[in-house]
This record gives sequence, C-alpha cells and structure tokens, in this order.
Amino acid sequence: MLFNSLEFLLFLPTVFFLYWFVFKNQLRAQNVLLLFASYLFYGWWDWRFLSLIIASTFLDYFVALALQKSESPLKRKYLLGISLVGNLGMLGFFKYYNFFVSSWIEAWSSVGITMEVSTLNIILPVGISFYTFQTLSYTIDVYRKEMQPTKSFIDFAAFVTFFPQLVAGPIERASHLLPQFYKNRTFDYQNAVDGVKLIVWGMFKKVVVADNCAFFVNKIFENPEAYSSGELFVGMVFFAFQIYGDFSGYSDMAIGLSKLFGFDLMVNFKFPYFSRDIAEFWRRWHISLSTWFRDYIYIPLGGSKGTQWFQIRNVMIIFLVSGFWHGANWTYVVWGLFHALLFLPLLLFNVNRSHLITKSYGWLDFAKIGVTFFVVCIGWVFFRADSLSQAFEFLDYFFRADSFDLDFFTKQNRYFLTFIICLISILTLVIIEFIHVVKKEQELRFSNKIVVLLLIMIFFLGSFKNQLDFIYFQF
Amino acid sequence: MKKFIKKIIIYSFLLFIFLNGVSYLILKKLSSSEFYKPQFVKNANIENKFDYVVLGSSVGLTTLNTVQIDSALNLKGLNISMDDTSLTTHYLMLNHFYKCKKSTKKLILCVTPWDLTSQEYKLNNNDYRFLSEVNKDYVSHYYYTMEKEYFKKLYLSKYFPIIGVSYYNFEIVFPSLLTIFNEKKHNKFDDRGNFSYPNYGTSKKEVKVKDENILLKNEYFDKIYTFCVKNNIELIVYQSPLLGKKINYLNIPSGIILINHSDLINSNLFYDDIHVNSKGRTFCTLAFCKEKKWIK
Repeated sequence: MLFNSLEFLLFLPTVFFLYWFVFKNQLRAQNVLLLFASYLFYGWWDWRFLSLIIASTFLDYFVALALQKSESPLKRKYLLGISLVGNLGMLGFFKYYNFFVSSWIEAWSSVGITMEVSTLNIILPVGISFYTFQTLSYTIDVYRKEMQPTKSFIDFAAFVTFFPQLVAGPIERASHLLPQFYKNRTFDYQNAVDGVKLIVWGMFKKVVVADNCAFFVNKIFENPEAYSSGELFVGMVFFAFQIYGDFSGYSDMAIGLSKLFGFDLMVNFKFPYFSRDIAEFWRRWHISLSTWFRDYIYIPLGGSKGTQWFQIRNVMIIFLVSGFWHGANWTYVVWGLFHALLFLPLLLFNVNRSHLITKSYGWLDFAKIGVTFFVVCIGWVFFRADSLSQAFEFLDYFFRADSFDLDFFTKQNRYFLTFIICLISILTLVIIEFIHVVKKEQELRFSNKIVVLLLIMIFFLGSFKNQLDFIYFQF
Repeated sequence: MKKFIKKIIIYSFLLFIFLNGVSYLILKKLSSSEFYKPQFVKNANIENKFDYVVLGSSVGLTTLNTVQIDSALNLKGLNISMDDTSLTTHYLMLNHFYKCKKSTKKLILCVTPWDLTSQEYKLNNNDYRFLSEVNKDYVSHYYYTMEKEYFKKLYLSKYFPIIGVSYYNFEIVFPSLLTIFNEKKHNKFDDRGNFSYPNYGTSKKEVKVKDENILLKNEYFDKIYTFCVKNNIELIVYQSPLLGKKINYLNIPSGIILINHSDLINSNLFYDDIHVNSKGRTFCTLAFCKEKKWIK
C-alpha cells in the first residue's frame, strides 16, 4: 500500500479511529491493532512475503530470549550467528543471489570459460533491507547487553512491522522504538498537528518534486548521448532532487504518521543538500542507515582509531557495504566507492568534523555547499544508471561540455510546463529548507498557511497520472 | 483529541470547497474554449449543417484533409477526429456532435483493423478531453461505463471536479489557463479540425504488402451504424493506408460504403507505420476525392 494511494486514504482513518477511540488506553489492544494493520499494509503488495517478516520476527524474538538466558560467550556467539545467518541469508538470497551468479558467470567468461549456471526468477520483497536491519539491531543490542529483550511477542512483532516505517525506513533502533510499545500512549495535540504537517510536506516532496523531476530524469538517463551537456547537467540535478524528494518525502510521511499514533521516530534527513563537505552530507543523508553502519560495523572494526591504513580500510568497507546495501548492481558499489574516495581526504587531514565546529554560514560556506552538491550529483549518476557503462557514457557526454543548450525542455509545451513546475517545486523546497538551515532548526516547522499552500500545490501541480513507486522500495 | 479532529475536519472541508470551486471554474473556462475537439465542436464559429464529417482516431485526424476535400468537391466538411481514441470515443463524439445541435449528411468513419476486431471497451488515453462536459448525461454515462477502476475518477468529477482536474492537471488546468489569454487556441488542429504530420517519415525501403483478413467484432461499430440509420446519415467506412498491409474486411454490412486505401501508397508517404506524412495526406485526400462511390 502506498502512502499516496486511495487505499491508504481509507486505511489510515480506520486505523486511527480504532486506535484512539475503540482501543483507547488499552495498550495491548493498540499494539495488536498496529500489528495486524501493519500486516495488512504490507500484505497489500504481496501477502506471500509476509511469511518472511513473520519468520524473521520469530527468529529474532527467540534468539534474543535465548541470549538473555545464556551466559556462555560461545553459546551467545552461536545464537547471534543464527540470527545473522538467518536474516542476512534471506536478504542475500532474495536480493543478491542473481547478482552473484551472473557476476560469477561474467568473471569466468572474461577469461574465456563459459559456465552454465542459471539465475532464478526471484522477486525482491519490498522493504526487506529495512526490516532486516531493524530486527538485527535488536539482536545485536541484546547480544551486547545494551538492552533487555522483550517477553511480549506482540510488542516485538509490532516493532518489526510498524507500518509507517516498515518498507522504507527510517531504520529504527530497537533501543529507541521498542520501548515505545511498552508505554501507554496518550494523544498529544501538538504532536499530531506536527505529524500532519510532516505528512503534507513529505507528500509535496514526493508527488510534486520527485515525480515531476522523474519525467525528465527517465528520458535523459535512458539515452544520454541524445542530450547536450546542459541538458545532462539539468538531468543530474533533477535526479538529485527526485531521489531526495522521493526518499526524504517517505521518511517525513513515516515520521508524521508515527506522530499521529503517539510514536517518535528518528530524523532521517537534515537538509543534506546544504552540506559543506561529504562528511557533513553523510551526517545529514539517510541518518538511520549511516548511524546503523557506524554503530554495528564501523566502530566494531575499530572506527577511526588505529593506524591510517586501518582507518582507510574501515572507511572503504563502510562505504562499499553502504553502496551494496542499496542494490545488487556494480553501479551502487561504485557509488559507494566514489563517496569513500571523497571522504578519505577529509578523514586523513582530520577535517571530517570541521563542519560541527562552524556554526554560521559565510560566503565561503555557500561556495562549499555548491561544490559538495555538484560532486554529490556526479555520484548520483552511478546510483541512477542501469549499468556502469551507461554511467560512464553519461559522464563522458557531460564533461565534453560541447553544448549547453536546453532545447529539450522547451521543445514541446508539455515539456516546458513540466520543466517550469520542476523549477518552482525545487525552489519552494530549497527556500523552505534554507530558512530552516539559517535558523538552525533540526526539524521542520511551518505555519498552517504554508501547509494549505503546499496542499494546493499538491493537487494542482502533483504528478498523479504519472505516479511512481517510491525508489527506495526496491532496496 | 476533539480539537485535533475538529481542526482536521474544518481545514479539510474548507480546502475541499476551495479546491472544488477552483476546479469548477477551470472546467467552466475550458468548456467555453475551443481548445480540445469536444469544446471546438461546441463553441467554434462554424456551420451547424455539414455535408460530411470525418470521425476517427489519429488516422482520421491526419489522413483526410477536409479543406482539400471541400475545395475539390465544393462541400462543407469538418474533421472531428481525436488522436489516441477508439470506436467507443468515436461513438461519444458523434453523440456530442449531435447534442451540440450540429448535423451531417455523411459520416466518414476512419477505422483501424485492431479497433474493429477489439471487444475490449475501456477508457481511451484522450477521453479526459470531454471532462469539461462531464455534467452532460451522455458524457458522465460514458465515463461510468468505460472506467473499469473501483474509483471512477472522471465520472466522480461530475460531483467533485477536483478529482479529475487534479489527476489530469497537466491536460486540464494549464490548457484552461492558456485559454484565458487566447480563447480560440486549438490543441494541434486547424479551423476545420485537421492536423498533419511533418513531411519526413519512415523513409523505409519498399515493404512487401501482406494480406490481412479482418472480421468486424466491435459492438460500438454497430452502435455508430444504428445512430447513423436513426439520424438519416450515410455511413462511409474509410480504411487509411497501413505500411505493408492490405486489409480485407469480410463482414462489413452491405448498406455501408467501404473505401479501402490500406495499400494505396508507398513507404515514402508514411510518417510511421500507420500514419501518413503531409505529402501522403494530400495524396490520400486526392484519391479519396476521386472515389465515386461516396459522392452522390
């Protein structure tokens, strides 16, 4: 079920009504309701994949209980291993099996050996990367004795499947979200109003910014050689806003929806395109994933301690894994590598935290923001392209800089109109975020008038007819 | 909680009223324009009685030039074809034409084999162009019948215009705004409803022509025929050229005149496999004018 679908328009008020009116002050009943609502929400795509979530839920629930009872370090390691193998095994099979098989065949064929290994017709279950990481955080935290496991299966299952963030995050830590299922939740007016505003903001980013930009992005990336450098540049920038509007829009809606039910989710994006270097970008972009990697991979590997070689190794691992998490394609791996290469100099010169010290923005900072945005856009080319050759072809044509005309966007009335709408919507987004950045506000706050204006824009400028799935559903 | 629900209801209600009000005005503006064919038929400063009209999809729009026919045969004709449509829309357009108090002696129905054999009746891509006329029963009934989804966006626009206007915002809102500045603006057709593709085309080598036998199955063809009989219109079925095909219609009713130009022209007169280019249009129209059987 999509947040911007008609079914959800019926689903949400029904669940909201039952939650706050029928099961008011009945914690257990509310959690059961959330669990079944979440199963319905997820099963709407394909009910068969519910079995994977349920299997993952059972596995981690019982592993965590067993971890609590066991004091033997070896047994605890085995238990953690079972959880890791079970969860990552499912993720690996559904997401990476075909990739590894075809890469294996290609590797041998490059040295002249032909292999006959067939790939499988595997459908990627929606959101598997997100809920797998969420349940793993629970088992790992219990293993580290950083949290007590829950005895309530319902609470745990509701935490794993919590519908606002089930399929595209934020990837919540068990230590942050799970305890919220134990406590009585009371309706908070201001929280609910903030939630509605976030939902509208997220919808604007998705339907107006992302889906309109997608119209051009799809055409330009399909056939880059047909466009001038100027058009390719606009295509890159539009994709930057498409993926940001799409993904952060979903996160905003997820956080807003959670607020309606009395839950608090972590902030996933903090105005990332106002970053002054790549290190800052990664502190502002997909925060729930980058902090997950930091806490469960980077720090256990030694983090930024140890020799420079160790540091370089750890950074390379973390970025490559991050790239690979996004999809089973070498383009994502190269995207991760590209960011690692941008990040490493900052780490080695010990300036990867300098943005934390600088409090206000000067002219130099705006220049840095421009440069950072440009290199991020270059990275997005790898992220968006279907293959490495297509990405390099795109960049090759772009850097030839032979022509900067923008005829493509004006050749038809429809194109010109969409182009203008893209510019207006991007400008609206940038201005609203810029005001927040200057005011140093971490979360969005705006008046009711702005919300009404955004709603009007959604209805009259939104791309409903060419509506697309959220990009991050595929990850 | 009460305060929240109250506020949500008040804001939603006011916004709903506002959006529907604006959408109503948008449709009203479009309805008084000549932008799309349905509005053109209704509002254009043209005759009410025609010797013939050309009705069809993009092949009807781009193959027969009514200006050329009128000048050659001293007739009064109009092209009411609309691209990306099928017989279902043609039937709606014919109804609309008559409801607009217009009439014709002859109807030249431009058909395609895939449409005549189809028995799947659903909404066509450009049917939204009738949205400004959704308050008319024949249009709303058409939407109700053709929209197969549970949530009938176009039909429900009769009551809540924001639904269709929002969904087709590019196609409805912006043309409507455009007509504020130019009421006579047409969406890619001339003052007699014709449109032509440019003068380049497939430039393919000669294609071997294959015969194809077609059995008419589409019940909307019968509806159009019945409509013609009832209104004393002579129905002429016209098959425009198709690259590499010779169509043989096996069961066209005997009272209907068939002009079959499916294998009339060479590949250099095509724009693509099913549409002629500008030169092709002139050639086909001339050939059509020479067909004695429809001119009495």
